[in-house]
Amino acid sequence: MPLSNDELVEIRGILGREPTKAELNMFEAQWSEHCSYKSSRYYLKLLPSDGEDVIIGPGRDAPAVKIFNNYAVVFKMESHNHPSAVDPYNGAATGVGGIVRDILTLGARPIALLDMLFLGDPTDQHADWLIKNVVKGISDYGNRIGVPVVSGMTWFDKAYNRYPLVNVACVGVVEISKLVNKVPEANDLIVIIGNTTGRDGLLGSSFASKPLDSSEDYLNNISAVQVGNPLIEKLIIDFIVDITDLGVVKYIKDLGGGGLATAVSELTADYGLGATIVLDNLHLREHDLRPEEILVSESQERMLLVVSRDDLKVVQELLEKYGIQYSVVGSLDRSGVIKVYYRGDLVAEVPAKALAKPRIRLRDAVVPKHFNELNVEVRITDIPEVKDLRKLMLKMLRSPNIASKEWIYSQYDYEVGIRTVVKPGYGDAAVLRLVEVGDGLGIAVKGDGNPRYTYINPFRGAANAVAECYRNLVSVGSKPIAIVDEVNAGNPEKPDHYWYFTEMVKGISWMAQELKLPVVGGKVSFYNEDLSMNSPVKPVATIVGVGTIANIRNVVTLDLKEDDDLILIVGTTYPELGATEFLQVHLGLELGEVPLPRPSSELRNAGFISELVGLGYAKAVHDVDVGGVAVAIAEMCIKGLKGVVVDLSKVPNRGCSRYEELLFSETQARYLVEVGSEVLDVVVDLARKYGVDVGVIGRVVGDELVISYDGHVLTKLKVDELVNVYENSLNELMS
Amino acid sequence: MYVVEVVITNKRSVRDPEGETIHKELISRRGYANVKDVRSGKYLEFLVDSQTPEEALNYVRDICYKLRIYNPVVHDIKVRLSA
Repeated sequence: MPLSNDELVEIRGILGREPTKAELNMFEAQWSEHCSYKSSRYYLKLLPSDGEDVIIGPGRDAPAVKIFNNYAVVFKMESHNHPSAVDPYNGAATGVGGIVRDILTLGARPIALLDMLFLGDPTDQHADWLIKNVVKGISDYGNRIGVPVVSGMTWFDKAYNRYPLVNVACVGVVEISKLVNKVPEANDLIVIIGNTTGRDGLLGSSFASKPLDSSEDYLNNISAVQVGNPLIEKLIIDFIVDITDLGVVKYIKDLGGGGLATAVSELTADYGLGATIVLDNLHLREHDLRPEEILVSESQERMLLVVSRDDLKVVQELLEKYGIQYSVVGSLDRSGVIKVYYRGDLVAEVPAKALAKPRIRLRDAVVPKHFNELNVEVRITDIPEVKDLRKLMLKMLRSPNIASKEWIYSQYDYEVGIRTVVKPGYGDAAVLRLVEVGDGLGIAVKGDGNPRYTYINPFRGAANAVAECYRNLVSVGSKPIAIVDEVNAGNPEKPDHYWYFTEMVKGISWMAQELKLPVVGGKVSFYNEDLSMNSPVKPVATIVGVGTIANIRNVVTLDLKEDDDLILIVGTTYPELGATEFLQVHLGLELGEVPLPRPSSELRNAGFISELVGLGYAKAVHDVDVGGVAVAIAEMCIKGLKGVVVDLSKVPNRGCSRYEELLFSETQARYLVEVGSEVLDVVVDLARKYGVDVGVIGRVVGDELVISYDGHVLTKLKVDELVNVYENSLNELMS
Repeated sequence: MYVVEVVITNKRSVRDPEGETIHKELISRRGYANVKDVRSGKYLEFLVDSQTPEEALNYVRDICYKLRIYNPVVHDIKVRLSA
């Protein structure tokens, strides 16, 4: 957003004179919310980021966490919300390009992508166009650079009809000894590689740091539209992987938001250095570019390398081998000042630290007026009895938030690279084989977020997103090691929007601390507003987590495996129907107390599940999430093509008085597990040892899902029919 | 009946990686130095039942906008009658 008057005064103070045009653009880019985190930094300090395996925490373009012996996982998430709202295809595609380059900055080989999408109602024409193009943009870019999209999540809500949230994450691996993590020094060279710099995407970060005006005049004149070129990105990936092996690059940075100005200011400020940049040396697309444009262009597929003078030749040779364009644009020094020259003139001279880190801007936060209206206790006595459970079950499975997302992931090449162990839809998290690290080793990855929860209660919703991610990683048999977060909120200048941001960060911080999950990196996206509706879109905290798997053969999927096995529920069920899918589908209500986050139950129950998986007793595991036990058990039937007879009277609970609570409550920290009947006694003993509540609620049998209460059959559904509704609903909606 | 042609290209201010690649890798690299730029795009032909040519053109222009066959934020569109 354009600099405020206060900021202009501050800039004059820093420089001791009037800023030049180039300097103004550099400040505008770097002091934008997107690049500087000026409204969010104060709260982000709350997030726990340390842990014994954390090698590089927040601060760099991506973090690195140790996995197994000599390897690190590098993963990060970012949003491309504004660009996707105006140009869904290119906006989503360039989001993928950007996050992949973040992973490359540490020299890691990108192995997987995840997308967390918050989309409108597919029956709305504009939303439908956005949805199809967002998915196609991710798919085309991901497929062309050969990195599979393995996991993610999708949420549909008409609040996103005109303004979708597109969060993408990338996961990479690298040998720890090869991490690109040296200290840049004076006299080192700054090399820009990749795409030519053009007028496209001027001040995109500034564009993303103000509300999106949806008027046609405005939209038709945006200069921030960027088009990705995956062919160049693929060359950059191959080059970085090769050059990392040679160990000759000291430091790498993406030219993302804020372009060259941001990259150079952060590089110099972080290491207490200065730099001299000669813009004439940069390879340009258009030759009439002005220096103030070159500095803040956000042309895609460009990266900055710091190379010592001695190593330049080796780097140049490899760049030429790959046919990647590059320019040596300048060098580092000890001055602490960035000097930019163009055609012999000094066009900017700015102290690096003052440019890189503007003052923290604490904004006012107030609880929104509707908070109390939404946060009402939902009592079962107020809920009309379900007359036709069969119909309701099918309606829930048809709900786009529940139904299979195959329409989306079938457009992704999720198997490219043959690492994918668990196919999308079959496990609570994606599992990737790490052959380069060691035989049988792997990682699990998953992304989660629930805008219904965060809209009603951002603190609880964000905490639950962390917990859900944790459960998903545990379900497949992995050990969660770290998470990254993306907080998508409204306009920070509006106190009732800003409050959502502060609450979400507090929620993530609390749950991450309790579960001992370091938050190793993250992003904040503000100004997610639909001005045509005059409201923020539903704010959401998205969490992506990674877990390690010591033996890939022990990985557990969620599909039922064998007749006569028993279904256990792990964890106590409470009467928590507030903010549930049940309330939405049954009564069309989106309100009520969000299910309580339960960190100590999460830890206890996860410990028990991990032990069961380790001992090989758990044949299928599925976490209980949106839709409660009803949806979880149906999904296990659908994926396993087997029936189950469920007796809800066996669900361990406190305070539930009607079966609807047992079936549809979204109480946290619960799992469903399939075990052989021969190990039941051992499993129950183990549960007692862990202090975990378990109940045998069903048996795998036949080809129907039978839901009963203490011998009384409530409904029967043919598995074939469940499959049909669950697998095809989204397809039908999108065709 | 009228045949209406629609040509959709990225706006001049928006990059065109496909055109750039064709220009650089196929043409310049083989020495055809007189070609200074290449732009790629999409071509559509509509057979329209209409009373007048103006009506046919407006009808097609309108459809392309409403159904987002092109994205006005990113693309230029040319709508013309086929000779």
